[in-house]
Amino acid sequence: MDYYSNKKNRVKGIIVAHGNLAEELISTTELIVGKVSDFYAVSGSNMSSEDVVKRIKEILSDGETEKAVIFVDYFGGSTYTNSIRAVRDMDNIYVISGVNLPIILDFVTKREAFDFGEMLHHLIERGKESIRILK
Amino acid sequence: MIVFVRVDDRLIHGQVVLGWGRVLKPDRYVIIDDEVAETDWESELFMDAAPEGANVSILTVDEALKRFEEGIFDSERVFVLVKTPGTLLELVEKGFKVDKINIGGLHYSEGRERLTENIYLSKVDREALRELAKKGIKLEARALPESEKVVLNSMVI
Repeated sequence: MDYYSNKKNRVKGIIVAHGNLAEELISTTELIVGKVSDFYAVSGSNMSSEDVVKRIKEILSDGETEKAVIFVDYFGGSTYTNSIRAVRDMDNIYVISGVNLPIILDFVTKREAFDFGEMLHHLIERGKESIRILK
Repeated sequence: MIVFVRVDDRLIHGQVVLGWGRVLKPDRYVIIDDEVAETDWESELFMDAAPEGANVSILTVDEALKRFEEGIFDSERVFVLVKTPGTLLELVEKGFKVDKINIGGLHYSEGRERLTENIYLSKVDREALRELAKKGIKLEARALPESEKVVLNSMVI
């Protein structure tokens, strides 16, 4: 069963990360919450910059995407520069860096419930508050 | 003082800043690329990508030659980055002095042929490397400081 049935107002997610991190974050997310749709992994370190940019644009130009959040693993890395290159001229596409599992879990379970503009701040807060000194 | 010259199609990114930067401790990254230097938003992107505290200059080939000639960076440890072997060849042909070049990331895309594990060359790249090799410049492929060094000169001539 598709985790979301409400096609309207759907916010697409893309993780752009080094190595296999993006795929692994998605498969780990699915391990926890079940099958997730409208969520894509792009490996930012195996392709040329042009191909990474092209792949991100392809995912977003399906004619249905109106809103999306791109999650980048490392601010300052090529996943960041290439994500910005891909979407700098597009409206309603956000890019955030420092992705971690709590952020992704929050996104996939609440993406339709939030106002799109507010969601971003919520996600970032969620990511930050999950980083704690435990011992 | 130029401490390192690297060809890397990603310019400033993790491998450069964390992998090489940690070892070379540059005071300044100098990106030489006409297109990036003339595109404000691209320049800003790389300024943001640089580690905190590092100086960054993003220059056209001609600007870079002038700055080096004037000795503006002489007191700093400078890490030079270009996207393509062609840019480096242009620099060398216009008088830039270098005896060793690090070839880092030249990633696969359509029409590029594999030279080593991490290096894919277009015809233009290959030709430029050949010319650089002919000038006696050592072309060393190495992704990170601890990676194995592969000298490319005999492979491109």
